[in-house]
Amino acid sequence: MSILNIVARLKSRDEIERLVDLGVDVLMIDTKDLTTKSLFPFDQNDLSEIDQLIKNYDVNLYVYVNKMIHENDLENLNQWMKLFKTVDVDGIVINDFTVYVVAKDHGLENKVIYQPGTMNTNTFDAMFLEGKIKGMTLSKEITLEEILEIVKSPSKINYSLVGHGYIDMFYSKRKLITNYFIHKNRKFHKIKGNHHFVLEEKTRDNIYYPILEDQIGTHIFRDKKLISFDEIDHIKEYITDFFIERLFIDDEEYYDTIQAYQNKELQDIFLNRYKNFNNGFYYLPTEKTKGERHVD
Amino acid sequence: MLTELLAPAGNLYKAKIALLYGADAVYIGGKQFSLRARASNFDLSMIKELVEFAHHIEKKVYVTMNMVFHDEDVYGLDDYLVELDKINVDAIICSNMIVIERAKTLTDLEVHLSTQFSLTNSSLANYFYHQGVKRVVLSREASLDEIKRIQENSLADLEVFIHGGMCVSYSGRCTLSNYTVLRDANRGGCAHTCRWLYNLYEDDTLLSDDYDFQMSSKDLEATNYIKDLLDLNIASLKVEGRMKSIHYIATVINTYRMMIDDYKIGCLRPIEQYQTEIKKAENRLTSHGFFEGDTTVDQQLYNSRSEVPTKEFVGLVKDYDREKQELIVQQRNYFEPGDCLEILMPDKTIIQFQVKNIVDEDGIELDAARHPLQIIKISCPVTIMDNSMIRKII
Repeated sequence: MSILNIVARLKSRDEIERLVDLGVDVLMIDTKDLTTKSLFPFDQNDLSEIDQLIKNYDVNLYVYVNKMIHENDLENLNQWMKLFKTVDVDGIVINDFTVYVVAKDHGLENKVIYQPGTMNTNTFDAMFLEGKIKGMTLSKEITLEEILEIVKSPSKINYSLVGHGYIDMFYSKRKLITNYFIHKNRKFHKIKGNHHFVLEEKTRDNIYYPILEDQIGTHIFRDKKLISFDEIDHIKEYITDFFIERLFIDDEEYYDTIQAYQNKELQDIFLNRYKNFNNGFYYLPTEKTKGERHVD
Repeated sequence: MLTELLAPAGNLYKAKIALLYGADAVYIGGKQFSLRARASNFDLSMIKELVEFAHHIEKKVYVTMNMVFHDEDVYGLDDYLVELDKINVDAIICSNMIVIERAKTLTDLEVHLSTQFSLTNSSLANYFYHQGVKRVVLSREASLDEIKRIQENSLADLEVFIHGGMCVSYSGRCTLSNYTVLRDANRGGCAHTCRWLYNLYEDDTLLSDDYDFQMSSKDLEATNYIKDLLDLNIASLKVEGRMKSIHYIATVINTYRMMIDDYKIGCLRPIEQYQTEIKKAENRLTSHGFFEGDTTVDQQLYNSRSEVPTKEFVGLVKDYDREKQELIVQQRNYFEPGDCLEILMPDKTIIQFQVKNIVDEDGIELDAARHPLQIIKISCPVTIMDNSMIRKII
């Protein structure tokens, strides 16, 4: 049986103690230039200090390296890898498989958690990755049944899940909000890093998808927060890391979320206090052609 | 190594047209394991027929198996790979490790990595090369400078998109369609949600005007970079569009074939001439995509505009009766006597003439060709090749 780690994203140095007190097992931090959708980016000079601060509390440190790695990023990625080795980070959470390839060159492949969002969808992937990396995060668009089939497979890899929060569903290199305002010949006071933009699709009234542009590109998120209060009971014995996403969630709700996953008695209070959740794809299989499973 | 021109094909006839009009290879989807679920994908007997046709004229056929596999999709994979190997398919294009591993274990198939993996650097290209992948399809987000550097450092052959539609997201990383309509973008069901119309708000404040926030990109058109890509000795130049018509495929492939051949013999014409030729086919507005680096507003498509083709596809030549000097034509769009037509032949020849008369199969004179797929006959003094495209000069 796995021991379920709660992985939280850190938003400032000042809240380390608070998050540790809430029972968080792993704190995940962002890099200044290789993390997109970042909350609190660190540059290379700060890594050693933040590592020490976190380890003083006896919790683990993961670094979030989720940018798609272009040829021009390779040199910088190698620099970061040297630092990750020096400070001995506990995990490197990656989106692009390139980061694994480079981590391997530095002897850090056993720190890599492969979290591409869409690619980890079958049992074979788990068997292929077993022994190569530290862990794999299951894809965000598969059902609970599919998740259970994978985690119960013979592979001994550490499984993880991004199980709560506004889940991203689109990552573009294009600066879509900036371009829109240029197209409209209008200036806007703050675009990059503005967490208050939402999209409403023409035929879907009152459904609002958060959209975020940063230095690296543009991201679009689900309109509702994924929640896994019931599902976690089915899978926690197979999962090593449970990531709680933080984007667009205010601090108090985030802290209460962390507590609610550790104490079932708090969940009813939580659900009375906070709204706008759904179960994502846990019970909604997708289809390959229109009408294959679902009727409009 | 000669740079290959690689064309899409949604069905057997489109594949043959692409090869006749100058493609060195075509890529097709099988009934299973492929994206583009709406294309008329090929069963094994059709793949076999196409491979025999292509090999007879010393060309190649690649089969896409680039969906992101769920456990339920794996059934039949081994048998399918073995069958493709028996048919002598030239390569498979895939994005999942399961396909790469099973292909290596069971077959001698050449393996190419799909753009679904969004590969943008040489480190990953070399990793896959050592995993037995001969060629990688680069992400459409790679710039020309990056392509140059990747080519310098990569052990794997590179395939580069030069023309056609572009995902707005990094390919393979989008679940907009999954979430909005439960159709799996990474298993062939993409509903193109990124091309829908949206309003943009900041909190409760509406910032857009009547759902005019759009994310659509213009299509890629890389005529300005073909010379660079040929100089770099890129293995393959790829045109996107398995859903496109035979006229589109013939026009676009013919144009890039001309460019490549003209450059090889040192007779490249002004780029505008090739661009004019491409505009004869239906297209979205086009741009250079990421070739110049990060995209700007100029690479975005607002107001859902499409480019109006400068020529309308009106018929397909099925045969030419030399004795009667008569074209046997399958009608595709309206035209009438007096219209000026242009004919594009598979050997790159283009001729223009005015329609004098149109008769049906029984010889009855018609005042116009108005019934799609009707076989009609037109007088024409010049010998025309089968499978030529007839366009109306608008």
